[in-house]
Amino acid sequence: MSKTILQIKDLHAGVAESQKEIIKGLNLEIKAGEIHAVMGPNGAGKSTLSYVLTGKPDYAVTGGTVSFNGQDLLALAPHERAAAGLFLSMQYPVAIPGVATNNFLKHAVNAQRKYHGLPELDAAEFLKLLRQTAKEFDVSAEMLKREINVGFSGGEKKRLEILQMSLLQPSLAILDEADSGLDIDALKIVANGVKKWHNQDNALLIITHHLDLLNLIEPDFVHIYADGHIVQSGDKNLAVELEQSGYKNFLDAEK
Amino acid sequence: MSLLQTVKLWGENIPWFEGLREKGRIAFEKVGLPTAKTEAWKYSFFKEDDLRNPQIDMTEHHCCEHCEQHSALPFEALKIEYCNGRLHSEELPPLAGLMIKPLVEAIYDKDVQPYLNKSFDLEQFPFAALNTAYLEQGLFILLERGTTLSKPIYICYHHHDNANCLCHIRNVIVLENSADATIIEHFDAEPNAIYTQNIVNEIFIGNNASLRHLTLQNEALAAHHVLLNSVEVKNNGCYRSFCAQKGARCSRQENFIKLLQEGAEAEVNGIYRLVADKQVCDTTTNIRHLAPHTLSNQLVKGVAEKAGRGVFQGQIHIAPNAQQCEGYQLHRALLLDDNAEIDCKPELEIFADDVKCSHGAASGDLDKEQLFYMQTRGIDEQQAIAILITAYIDEVIQKITDDSLKNWIKQNF
Ligand SMILES: Nc1ncnc2c1ncn2[C@@H]1O[C@H](COP(=O)(O)OP(=O)(O)OP(=O)(O)O)[C@@H](O)[C@H]1O
Ligand SMILES: [Mg+2]
Repeated sequence: MSKTILQIKDLHAGVAESQKEIIKGLNLEIKAGEIHAVMGPNGAGKSTLSYVLTGKPDYAVTGGTVSFNGQDLLALAPHERAAAGLFLSMQYPVAIPGVATNNFLKHAVNAQRKYHGLPELDAAEFLKLLRQTAKEFDVSAEMLKREINVGFSGGEKKRLEILQMSLLQPSLAILDEADSGLDIDALKIVANGVKKWHNQDNALLIITHHLDLLNLIEPDFVHIYADGHIVQSGDKNLAVELEQSGYKNFLDAEK
Repeated sequence: MSLLQTVKLWGENIPWFEGLREKGRIAFEKVGLPTAKTEAWKYSFFKEDDLRNPQIDMTEHHCCEHCEQHSALPFEALKIEYCNGRLHSEELPPLAGLMIKPLVEAIYDKDVQPYLNKSFDLEQFPFAALNTAYLEQGLFILLERGTTLSKPIYICYHHHDNANCLCHIRNVIVLENSADATIIEHFDAEPNAIYTQNIVNEIFIGNNASLRHLTLQNEALAAHHVLLNSVEVKNNGCYRSFCAQKGARCSRQENFIKLLQEGAEAEVNGIYRLVADKQVCDTTTNIRHLAPHTLSNQLVKGVAEKAGRGVFQGQIHIAPNAQQCEGYQLHRALLLDDNAEIDCKPELEIFADDVKCSHGAASGDLDKEQLFYMQTRGIDEQQAIAILITAYIDEVIQKITDDSLKNWIKQNF
């Protein structure tokens, strides 16, 4: 039996300010070695789920529990969740003017090392690590010198997100539409990077609207997510079916 | 005890010099300390009580262990130090084309006479008037025609006791035609020191001469700091200043810059941080375009980390005949404390019609999305804030062209 990485039980959450409920009774278990895909219509609450798990202050949890590698995830601050091994590749990565990408990445890697009581990497050690990883994702040295995500194309941003995943080596990576905006070659680069990282000790939660990424990274489970919870789960065939017939059948069946 | 004190100063037997002091005294008696009603000081005036009876210190300076311990620098420089407001009397190493001596010596040699008190009107600058009444401590620096200094002049003002001394310092800096220099002023103190520092720099920049003037104000948090840079720039001369301020209970850095002749140029950049509640940090600039084709640029950014007050007053004056001038000004502030206050007063006074001028001001909060993005990468909130502050002021620091000076500012600010 492989160990459980993420266990969500009856999660309710919504917008902190307006108390508008977006996640309505969600259950999900992800075990080590597994790849899960979540598909659902626009506005279903997929990104909200990724934010609630990573601890974005805009959202408040109103019920349920989330355990992550045996810890109470919801009790941790966002940076502690990251250091505990949770990674989110954002649907809309944030630009930070004035902060060079390579510096940002060094801060991130060293912050996590520090959290775990490991010595921080010095400039040379970090550069070596970054060079290797950047090559894998076809990210140029010139791009790493630029301010993070400032003026990056959609595809460049997504490649940089996955590069961060590879640098930080999380135990669970949530990819929120990591495939959107990627050209055919970039999609392969991203998929290969993810596959290289993935092993029997970590797990992956892919949020996507398209089969292409799932053809490159075969999911073990596919969940259809609508109106704040999972309406149906299955294997990859569910995604194929969805591609042909759309959400209509699944949502009608719900009602 | 008032701010006008009877003390014995050098050079009382020199009539022209004593006459200047008298003028300063009369002007200060007439205008007095600025109050809330003094337009130019309304945001940053302080009461005499706040100064807690500072005393002009007449004792001779004796070097102590404090004098040298703060002088390690990561760049080569010609070092000059003031200790508790008094100039070290050591010999300065000679450099070709450079004359540098204590003001008291220059008074006797008379070479400072054409410059001293020649660049501003006493009644407009109350603290400078007070400074004039106590002319004594200071430097006369003259760079001869065509000289390019191979290393910067570094002037350190160090305070290490809490005797609440009142220091008036006057530096006269002259760059003859085509001279080129960098001057660094570093205000530095033991954290518990108490004092009031009143500095006036009179700066004269000749034709085609160029001065880079870097200031790091890191005064003790109980200190008061008032500084006036009174600058005159001639034909195609250039004055570039960068000022970083984060110390003092109340500080005011005032730049009064006259672009006297065609092609004269001024750049005034600055950063400041409010690191304690009730701290006041004022940057006041008056740039006077008095000839055609003159250019000025200002960029000042502040970060209010505590409930202090940041003040930016920027006046750009363009005289009637000064066509085709350009004057730009931008102030931005980051407010991290809900009780912090930023007062910004831009003033454009334009009497010529063919000019390009702009001013802008903005203050805001840290970007929550950016903070969260960093946190999802494992960076804690405090460090994320620090990174964003650094990024915010870096835009201004990048204007410093010399890499070692840039790094020095980054490390000490
Ligand atoms: N901070 C917020 N304030 C108000 N409404 C919000 C907020 N965040 C999300 N919502 C709303 O919650 C719903 C779910 O949004 P979410 O971004 O999670 O959808 P999604 O499933 O990721 O959609 P997409 O496929 O388009 O990315 C939407 O109706 C959205 O407008
Ligand atoms: Mg989404």
